[in-house]
Amino acid sequence: MDYRRVFDHVFGLQLWIAGGVFVVVAGLLLGALVFNRARRRDKLPFAAAEHNAIEIAFAVFLGGAAAFLVWLSLSNNHRLDYGDTLAVAQQSGLPAGQQPVRVDVTAFQWCWSAAYPGSTTTVSGSCATPADRPVIVVPQGRPVEFAITSRDVAHAFWIPDLALKRDAYPDHVNTVLMTFPETGQWLGRCSEYCGTYHKDMDFFVRAVPPEQYQAFLQTGSLPARAAA
Amino acid sequence: MTATEPRAAVEEPQPTPRRVRTTVLAWVTSTDHKRIGLLTLGTAVVLMIAIGALALTMRAQLAQPQLDVLSPDRYNQFFTIHGSGMIYLVMTPFAIGLGLYLVPLQIGAPNVAAPRTTMLGYWLYLGGAVTMLSGFATSSGAADHGWYAYPPLAGTRFTPGPGVDLWIAGVALAGLGMLLMAATVLWTALVKRTRGMTLLRMPVFSWSVVATNLMCIGAFPSLLVAMGILAAGRIEPDLFTQNAWNIGYQHVFWFFGHPVVYVMFFPFVGAVAEVLAVFGARRYFGYRITVVSLLAFAALSMSVWGHHMFSTGQAENDYYSLTSILLLVPAGLEYFGFLATLLGGRLSFPTPMLFAVAFVPQFLIGGLTGIMIATPAVDYQVTDSYFIVGHWHYTLAAGSLFGFFAGFYYWFPKATGLQLRERMGKAHFWFWLVGTNATFLPMFWLGLHGMPRRMASYLPQDGFGTANLIATLGSGFLAVGTVIFLVDLVVSVRRPRRAPDDPWGGFTLEWATSSPPPPQNFDPAHPVPPIRSYAPLLDLRPDLGGGRGRR
Ligand code: HEM
Ligand SMILES: [Cu+2]
Ligand SMILES: [Cu+2]
Repeated sequence: MDYRRVFDHVFGLQLWIAGGVFVVVAGLLLGALVFNRARRRDKLPFAAAEHNAIEIAFAVFLGGAAAFLVWLSLSNNHRLDYGDTLAVAQQSGLPAGQQPVRVDVTAFQWCWSAAYPGSTTTVSGSCATPADRPVIVVPQGRPVEFAITSRDVAHAFWIPDLALKRDAYPDHVNTVLMTFPETGQWLGRCSEYCGTYHKDMDFFVRAVPPEQYQAFLQTGSLPARAAA
Repeated sequence: MTATEPRAAVEEPQPTPRRVRTTVLAWVTSTDHKRIGLLTLGTAVVLMIAIGALALTMRAQLAQPQLDVLSPDRYNQFFTIHGSGMIYLVMTPFAIGLGLYLVPLQIGAPNVAAPRTTMLGYWLYLGGAVTMLSGFATSSGAADHGWYAYPPLAGTRFTPGPGVDLWIAGVALAGLGMLLMAATVLWTALVKRTRGMTLLRMPVFSWSVVATNLMCIGAFPSLLVAMGILAAGRIEPDLFTQNAWNIGYQHVFWFFGHPVVYVMFFPFVGAVAEVLAVFGARRYFGYRITVVSLLAFAALSMSVWGHHMFSTGQAENDYYSLTSILLLVPAGLEYFGFLATLLGGRLSFPTPMLFAVAFVPQFLIGGLTGIMIATPAVDYQVTDSYFIVGHWHYTLAAGSLFGFFAGFYYWFPKATGLQLRERMGKAHFWFWLVGTNATFLPMFWLGLHGMPRRMASYLPQDGFGTANLIATLGSGFLAVGTVIFLVDLVVSVRRPRRAPDDPWGGFTLEWATSSPPPPQNFDPAHPVPPIRSYAPLLDLRPDLGGGRGRR
């Protein structure tokens, strides 16, 4: 799922709408401040204290705006499979080689580890300095299902540049599905406050070509000149 | 309290120690809603300064990467006590205390219903505040789990030490106190209105308090249950090894936690509405639709709590998104009233009006970003980032606190019989206008560029330095403005200038009585005037077109 594209689309549209509303409200406000100063007026611009027809019309308009925004919200949430991996079930009908790859991510105070079902390869680190950040390796071009849990308190798995986030709870597994169309490396962070060194819980996610990923699963490390 | 008690402090002879003692005793055992209200508001102002100082220290720590103003643990304690303090001990008491002081006056009642219960509410609140803050005096420091104390982090396994226990007790006490106070003020508005004060003639402010207190009654019991769960889990830590309890706690907490954010802004919507009307020299526009919106808003607010849990993967996101976005309908109608009143008024700009006018666009930024984060596809990205920190400070600091100050400057002469100094009030306003926006606007950018909230520090290569520096400089403006505010208070009390009974030409009943009002609020020298609308004093003023509006 392309969280980033959906985010950019929805947030971008909302930003335009919000900007428009702000300009209209601020404009009316400024107009009133300039033209309605007591010094400039000796009587009220209008005396009426309510106008039911306008009020009801405005309420209907607001209802319409709300309906549109609800539609925007829900339809995009469905595009993201409710932010969940309901789609994993549908994707399991895919041919071998296209099916999602699962990566088990575990948060703990204060770092991350990852395990790969069917392989002895694991990733971990201490997060104490930037050099000790774990690098979670994933294949490029194939859906990846992150199965996220925690060993202790609540944390959250966040890759800001990819707009991907899901909380990590003990005694519970959350899943998110994400395809990495390109190779590359992204910074991840913990975004749910988890105690003293919450600030240090950074990690990397690195997408590599499928062959390198296979090598990684077998040997536990990437070839020396792996694509970054 | 009897009618013979000394009234305005300014007229008293030099205080002797004995006199001071009896005055203090009279205040702290008072059953007069005005005194209990002023005690509540005064306590909350003092706490606002202390808790605001914690925020300034955090801003100093974040001014640049890797500073050492605060250790990570201290930082975490500071944001926890800043956030919980502002919510449980400052803004909620402001909201409920302002209602306690004003509602009986505005509806022509001699006192609050059940004054002793109300006083108990104040004592519970004060006890809760002292209990929570005393965490700083323990060896392991104050609570450091954030203002909503999620388990398992807030359990004994991960946060041992008495700070959390004190925090739980403090929140429960203060919450219970606020619940009692809200209940008696609601009861007052429902049963103690004077002759002629029908429900649909209650001023907008009083209505906003009714809606607020209804939400308190619906929501605060849930806070007490949440604190009970935390306490149980601290006694029996295995509770929080189970997801059902951890996530269950979140649901119970937010069932309280969302309505309370509206508790912290409704009365200020009401205050802003009164101020806009009086300094617009006109009847407030759209009274009935505003009342309906407030009530609809309050009702809907009980159904939106799960929007705090979109990223948990354990909430019905579509449902909570739907109810949350629907809130824009009542909110939009309230804005309609604000704007129409301004567009149809003859405006003048003393200090209360400046704060009220600034409330309108600033709170709007909080509201518009609120719609964005009510959209799961957006919230998945920005939740628990600085975007959220920006969002709620626009609603609470740039919004509610501006509304509070509008009310403070507006009603101060009524409550004390003293005038504040206009020039200092205006200086306070301008420093806050600049400071608020400089502090909180950069936070949206920070969140969108990947800065999580509750970060005790960050690295140079993160690229967060410039925006954080601007935010910290902005908070310096807030500090200067606050000092001016305090100086203004001291000067106005030390060199008193008597305020007339009705310095602004107000429309509601509190302006018909003396400043400060007599013990029973109205007396033969200041009788309750006839009430024919929600602006009874305006009806008596043909020069302002009084009596021409509807009803
Ligand atoms: C006016 C000056 C204020 C400044 C400079 C300020 C600054 C801050 C800062 C730096 C944080 C920490 C953010 C983080 O580390 O995630 C914070 C958190 C918070 N602030 Fe403020 N704040 C101010 C006023 C207020 C007001 C008036 C309220 C509301 C009633 C408020 C409510 C909160 C809350 C609820 C938190 C979150 C605490 C938590 O994460 O548990 N603040 N503020
Ligand atoms: Cu964390
Ligand atoms: Cu909420």
